[in-house]
Amino acid sequence: MITDNLMMLAPAAWIIIIATSYQVYSARATISPTINTAITNVTLLVAAILQYINLGGVYSYGTSGGLFNGMLIADSFNGYMGLLIIISGLLASCGAFSYWKSNDFHRAEFNAIWLYAISGMLLLTMAGELITIFVTLEIMSLSVYILVGFNRNSLRSNEALFKYLMLGAFAGAFFVMGSALVYGSTGSTILSQVSAALAEQSLAEMPLLAGGMMLILVALLFKVAAFPLHAWSPDVYEGAPMPVTALMSTGVKIASFAMLMRLFLGTFIEYQDIWSMPLAAIAVLTMAAGNLLAMGQDNVKRMLAASGIVHTGYLLIGAAAMVPGNSAAPAMLFYLVAYALSALGIFACLSFLTGTGERRIRFEDFNGLARAHPVTAALMSLFLLSFVGFPPTMGFFGKLYLFTAAVENGFAWLAVVGIISSVVSVYYYLRLIVAMYFREAAEDFSVQVLPQTYLAAALCGVALIWGGIGSFTLVIFPGATSLLEAARVAVSSLF
Amino acid sequence: MFDYLSPMIFLPILAGAALMVLPVGAAMARTTGLAVSIICFALGAGLFARFEGTGALEFVTRIPWVPEFGINYVVGIDGISLMILMLIAVLFPLAYLLLWNHDKRGFWAGMLIAQGAMVGTVAAADLVLFYVFWEVMLLPIFFMIGLYGGAGRIAATIKITVYTMAGSLLMLLGILALAVAHQEQFGSWSFAMADLLRVDLAAGTAVWVFAAFVIAFAIKIPLFPLHTWLPDAYTEAPTGATFVLSAIMAKLGVFAVARYVLPLFPEQFVNYAFALCVLALIGMIWCGVIAIRQPDIKRMLAYSSASHLGMIAVGVFAMNLQSVTGSVFQIVAHAMATGVLFLMVGLLEERMGTREISALGGIAKKAPVYATMFAIAMLASCGLPGTNGFIGEFLIILGALKYNVALGVVAATSVLVGVSYMLWMYQRVIFEKTNDLTEGFRDLNMRELLGIAPVILLIILMGVYPQPFLSKIEPTVEVYLEQIKSPVALAELADDPQGGAQ
Repeated sequence: MITDNLMMLAPAAWIIIIATSYQVYSARATISPTINTAITNVTLLVAAILQYINLGGVYSYGTSGGLFNGMLIADSFNGYMGLLIIISGLLASCGAFSYWKSNDFHRAEFNAIWLYAISGMLLLTMAGELITIFVTLEIMSLSVYILVGFNRNSLRSNEALFKYLMLGAFAGAFFVMGSALVYGSTGSTILSQVSAALAEQSLAEMPLLAGGMMLILVALLFKVAAFPLHAWSPDVYEGAPMPVTALMSTGVKIASFAMLMRLFLGTFIEYQDIWSMPLAAIAVLTMAAGNLLAMGQDNVKRMLAASGIVHTGYLLIGAAAMVPGNSAAPAMLFYLVAYALSALGIFACLSFLTGTGERRIRFEDFNGLARAHPVTAALMSLFLLSFVGFPPTMGFFGKLYLFTAAVENGFAWLAVVGIISSVVSVYYYLRLIVAMYFREAAEDFSVQVLPQTYLAAALCGVALIWGGIGSFTLVIFPGATSLLEAARVAVSSLF
Repeated sequence: MFDYLSPMIFLPILAGAALMVLPVGAAMARTTGLAVSIICFALGAGLFARFEGTGALEFVTRIPWVPEFGINYVVGIDGISLMILMLIAVLFPLAYLLLWNHDKRGFWAGMLIAQGAMVGTVAAADLVLFYVFWEVMLLPIFFMIGLYGGAGRIAATIKITVYTMAGSLLMLLGILALAVAHQEQFGSWSFAMADLLRVDLAAGTAVWVFAAFVIAFAIKIPLFPLHTWLPDAYTEAPTGATFVLSAIMAKLGVFAVARYVLPLFPEQFVNYAFALCVLALIGMIWCGVIAIRQPDIKRMLAYSSASHLGMIAVGVFAMNLQSVTGSVFQIVAHAMATGVLFLMVGLLEERMGTREISALGGIAKKAPVYATMFAIAMLASCGLPGTNGFIGEFLIILGALKYNVALGVVAATSVLVGVSYMLWMYQRVIFEKTNDLTEGFRDLNMRELLGIAPVILLIILMGVYPQPFLSKIEPTVEVYLEQIKSPVALAELADDPQGGAQ
């Protein structure tokens, strides 16, 4: 029945309904930024609860629940990723509370578009058909383009929007072209039928398939900012308003990795020998490029953008090594949570530390932060240490699982490169800690901060410690008592 | 059985974390520090009394941590780790008495966290747990040097952190390789030391994994030529951090070689021991010669400490009963001597405001008690008979001679280098004429004497009657050496027909 599993759409539908009605309403009434953000957060919280209820109920019964004849898939994988995306959007939005205290270009559409972006990401994780993937990818991308350029009076913001839009349009075109080639080779755009066709035919009968796969891969690599399509990321991150940067570095990345895993671990797994080695090479180059970029930055936001590229590299190690049933894909899902928590936490802190127009953003602007704001400095250090992979934070276990999976699947050399990259990254993460703790402040550090933002940062901090010492014992799926087990259950629905 | 180890690990860490968060004064912070360290000492004493010395792990506690990956919280101690554990338990309360005037809350928090993490490193019997503590113990040192260090502190923190993190991440890779091999060979994940011992790595892989471990530990020791972080870090660090680094943390590198590398890679260990011995000897002489030329006492002691660690490393790499036992004994002896020396130089700096050797002199006239204590610690560090330093060095040289006559002769001769810089420094700082600066030098007060005297007594006691200590170490060393007494090892030890067992 077409209405089977319709409940799975509830979180996305709820977000879209609220966003639309809210947009209509806000055209007439003026609402303060704080109320706006609060409404967004309540909406996302309800969506998270809906998603969580879904995880406990429908997902546990079966994993092959398609909606609308396979256009959308409702399985434990999108359950996990969707929950992560909603929570990322929620935590990133908490930073907006404080951000709008010191910045004045807020308009009500911001929050409506924010919600649209998240609904696009949610639907992207559910998409089970190539055209649907493209449409949802564009829903997400178009919303994010607008958010990036939201500060209309800022040249940087406009530049970021233009760069992201032009390159993103190219990436979208690549995706469509790739989809066309895959459709031409297999006769279907529905992923389950594509897999079936791939299993039946040999590669010789589908000369264009490899090209199609690679074009789709290019589009996804652009979205996750992997080499050689990473160069936009520092500029765009820098120009975007801080909460949007937080959303881009987590939500967009998570959704794109979700699609990468669904397509390549699920659908194209037959031809793993075609895409596995290129992905491994890209992982190495991504880590190298990201590290080189990050070391040269004097702007903390750009450094975080570049370090985000490096983390994409780590995740691609897992992607290169993933095989159905092995530990690489669950390790990636675990790592995504660890990375997202650190990134969301640090951007929440930055959303109030940087002040009006994000003027306090260079490394030396953070000198002496520890004396003025010891708790914030401690939290930031915790996030940075988790980025490094310092035990016993969650980032350490993320890297441990990821590198273990790489060694286990014959990619020991990738793990070696990952370790070298971690050593290099110590330098630029440490630089911020050194600035905060060991150098003297040049000016006094008065900031406007709302407790909601502190709460979000503190939640991220607690979760990172919990993920390290307590191994994140949380029942996401019935029967899976820790995050790693939940990740395993989630991945098991892909193949 | 009562779990002595976990409170010894977590009580200081939790107390340190609490000190960081709670807005208490410096006086409260150091009282807490002293109280916690005395509790840990009491626990350590109880442990020492009940330790049986079977050669196996005792006082084992096991709690599952990440069961899917076979990561467990496992702690336990054997004869070698017992010695280092006791060292931490005894030296910390005494050090707190000497560091009493430090008035920063964060400093005391850092000392406590370092103490707990080092106990954890010593007691861990699961490699992931070991790695966690190994890394965590770097954090307080990083912050203590960066926050309370000297003028060149920022460069020193970056240097020590990047150096040691590079080493430990390499080791992490080694740990992963072992765990994956275990999974392949036995079908289950485990990071427990006892399980990983059974892993049989392919010869080609084993060398790399061995190298990863050895480099990580060599940086910590530090072994020539990876020692360049040491002088900066030791000199720029506040006295407390230098004490932690030199007295205990550096020894953990040697300890880890004996505890992990030797049992895990006996074959590679035998193959490369000679080269490592030579490196250790080069480092010993190299750092010793540099120490002679230093104008700054603290820097001189830093190089001296590196030089002595070369000697201790020779003992481990010579792998026979005498040399390894001697090394473990010398770890304890050197920690006491160097710890006291660094703390006393800290007092000197606190009172005089300088560490320049040329600016000092004539302290013996003004402060006879200080001069005497300093002399005993210094002579123990040189290995004078009657102090514990003699027993350790004697056993190491004896073992080195058994391993290779030439190495033994060089090791024995290079001890002279140590004697020369120490005595020369002592002459210039403590003897000679007083000057305007040292005229006002105040002798040790009761609190400081209370901190130093027990260590000095122990130095002499262990020098005169070492048997109770040796008898706790030897059974464990024998167990470890059993590992390398394979036919290959015996062939390599051709000039030692008894295989170094007796």
